[in-house]
Amino acid sequence: MMKTKYINNLYIFGLALAAFTFNSCDDFEQFEPLGENSIEDETPPNALFSYSQGVGLDDEWKTYTFSNQSASATTYAWDFGDGNIGDGLDEENTYPGEGTFTVTLTASDALGQMSTYSEEITIVEPEAPAAIIPTILESSFEDNSLPDGTGDGRDSWRNSDLGGVIQITSSPVYEGSQASKFPSGGDRIAYQELMVTPNSDYILSYFYTLKTNNPGSITVSVIAGGGHTDLTAALAATIEDFEGTDQSSSSTYVPVSISFNSGANDTVSILVTNQGEEARIDSFSIALGD
Amino acid sequence: MKNIINSLKYIMMSAVIFSLTSCEDYLSPDPTAAISSETFYQTQEDFDLAVINMYDAIAGLNSTNSNDNHSLQVEFYLTEMRSDNTRTKAQEGEAAQFEFFTIESTNGIIDDYYRSFYDVIFRANSILDNLGNIQNSAAYEAEAKFVRAYAYFNLVRLYGDIPLVNRGIEITDTSTQFTRVATSSIYDLIQSDLNTAILGLDNSYKTRASKAAAQTLLAKVYLTLGVNYLEAQILCEAVMTSGFLLEPDFKDVFYNELNDEIIFAIGYQPDSSADSQNFSAEWLNAVGRTSGVNYLTENAVAFIDANGGDRKDYSYRIDTGQPTKKQVVKYLPNGDSNLGIDPVSSNPTLAGNDWIILRYADVLLMHVEAIMAGGNETNVPAALNSFQQVRNRAGLTDVVTSISKQELLDERRAELAFENHRLFDLIRFGEAMNVLSDHSTEIGGSFSSSDLLLPIPQREINLSNGQLSQNPGY
Repeated sequence: MMKTKYINNLYIFGLALAAFTFNSCDDFEQFEPLGENSIEDETPPNALFSYSQGVGLDDEWKTYTFSNQSASATTYAWDFGDGNIGDGLDEENTYPGEGTFTVTLTASDALGQMSTYSEEITIVEPEAPAAIIPTILESSFEDNSLPDGTGDGRDSWRNSDLGGVIQITSSPVYEGSQASKFPSGGDRIAYQELMVTPNSDYILSYFYTLKTNNPGSITVSVIAGGGHTDLTAALAATIEDFEGTDQSSSSTYVPVSISFNSGANDTVSILVTNQGEEARIDSFSIALGD
Repeated sequence: MKNIINSLKYIMMSAVIFSLTSCEDYLSPDPTAAISSETFYQTQEDFDLAVINMYDAIAGLNSTNSNDNHSLQVEFYLTEMRSDNTRTKAQEGEAAQFEFFTIESTNGIIDDYYRSFYDVIFRANSILDNLGNIQNSAAYEAEAKFVRAYAYFNLVRLYGDIPLVNRGIEITDTSTQFTRVATSSIYDLIQSDLNTAILGLDNSYKTRASKAAAQTLLAKVYLTLGVNYLEAQILCEAVMTSGFLLEPDFKDVFYNELNDEIIFAIGYQPDSSADSQNFSAEWLNAVGRTSGVNYLTENAVAFIDANGGDRKDYSYRIDTGQPTKKQVVKYLPNGDSNLGIDPVSSNPTLAGNDWIILRYADVLLMHVEAIMAGGNETNVPAALNSFQQVRNRAGLTDVVTSISKQELLDERRAELAFENHRLFDLIRFGEAMNVLSDHSTEIGGSFSSSDLLLPIPQREINLSNGQLSQNPGY
């Protein structure tokens, strides 16, 4: 009995509920503005990315890697600016070649909020930097041969901390009208600093001749770094050197080439010293090695 | 009750009188039962103790309590296990978040390392703040700055923008504690600290800062930033003329401690509960607290088989308890008679194997990297020579005539595997995205570019009341 009544009540309630549901659904929306009682999206997406150019052989430079740094987003749309698109979290795109492209990332969250971030990238094929070929000033010891048309032929070769200044001779010379002269006392030096590319091969060439009265020699040293003020320390930093001892003729110039690698230096110095006999040097030049 | 109130009144009155007369001494007496940093730094001995205290913080505690600072002893989780080199044996739990690139900001290990290394920085700052108390402070300044730079270099590479604390700060100074500073400013401090360290240090120690260690670290900072390649080369060459040598036998690098190849290592003492380490045991099959971590990935096994040369047998071995799995051999606590390695300690969980931070082979390969100067290959004789030395020691004596960037990265992986270099190398060479996304796909992980930085520990963000922001992707 009790049970029946209960079931009856439930039945009536159910009917009423059904009736209510059927006829008043639309009414709710009439009185309640759309969006009322819903919570604002307090963490809208924020689109952001960074990118890096590929490094490696062949065409690696055309491939860019894009790292997604967006916050509060679930789906992503990429436009790489070259017609390619993507929808991944992180993306990679290979461009046709050099040029400027605008990359756009649109980040959306599950509530349909969107954020867009764009960046223009300029693609340039990286070139292996060519090694510097340094300029040797007053390389043939001629007057007025500095770039500004002045100079006494030896101004670029002075270093009074290391030794006295060289003399200038007009005969014999290898070419032009002057060459450098190192008296037999051996207390004079020629010194010049050159800017070089580190770890590069160079060939330094010159011509020398020695007088024949006493045994003697003339040494050209390529020294690491610049700013040298002490002869012993400077010679201790020698990368390569050549001691010329050919005394077969006092007037014939002998060609010399010194090959060296600049190593961990962006500056090297040429240092010339002589021993025992008067010596002459002319026509320095420098070129890249192979 | 009345009695109490009366006596309270009495005490109050006398307190008032007392404070009127001798306020300062009474309210801030020098503690006699405990050491305080304000009064500690008096003599040279005090400074010596404080210096050792810094290395103690780097070494970390050998404990299984996750609230302790384990420092260097958990570094492999954040580096090797987050690369293609290693994994957990069981592939589950907090430790497995690293290999699958699913690290949560609540991960206890990233919090452990973060607070451990800020503790190192705190101890270094404490010395630097008190240098005025002593004559001839230059060597102490150099040593503390080396340690501070080392700690920041690790933190900045792992967490990105981080708070910059360069002096002792009060607990109320929340703006210093919780303001993230751009990595470039962190690197400015690192470079300036290392330059001071190079000037003030010599090469008397291997388990403490040295000139060579500071030169090596600064070269690595330049290579990481992709700047000053020539200076990096000069620094490497300075170390190369400081008397370090490659050990002829690769095994001896790890089992003949403080050998000629070691530039900077953290020294652990076997069977000492205070000064030993437990990572050696954790890397074995259920010898430590875990069932086994820092096991090799399939990828690493195949790589070392192909490229390891003589290094292979001393890089990994088969786990006899589970023959499909492979363990690291470089830091075994309990030896291996098949490999001629004696036990280092009688209790493997109190291991004495030193942790090598910088060694000569690393410098030789950095020398090649500096000469390559961001390019794709080099055939400069000085670079070939350094590269060849490392290869020859591994029994790979074929003459190298040119080195590509990929070959250099591979050689570093083979030579320095499981020494916490791999992740940083991948990032520095710009290959992390390629290599780690492929690796992640292979193992079913979820790598994305934001995984290249760890999350800022959630505990720090909570402490900051939201002042600290989180890294993207967490």
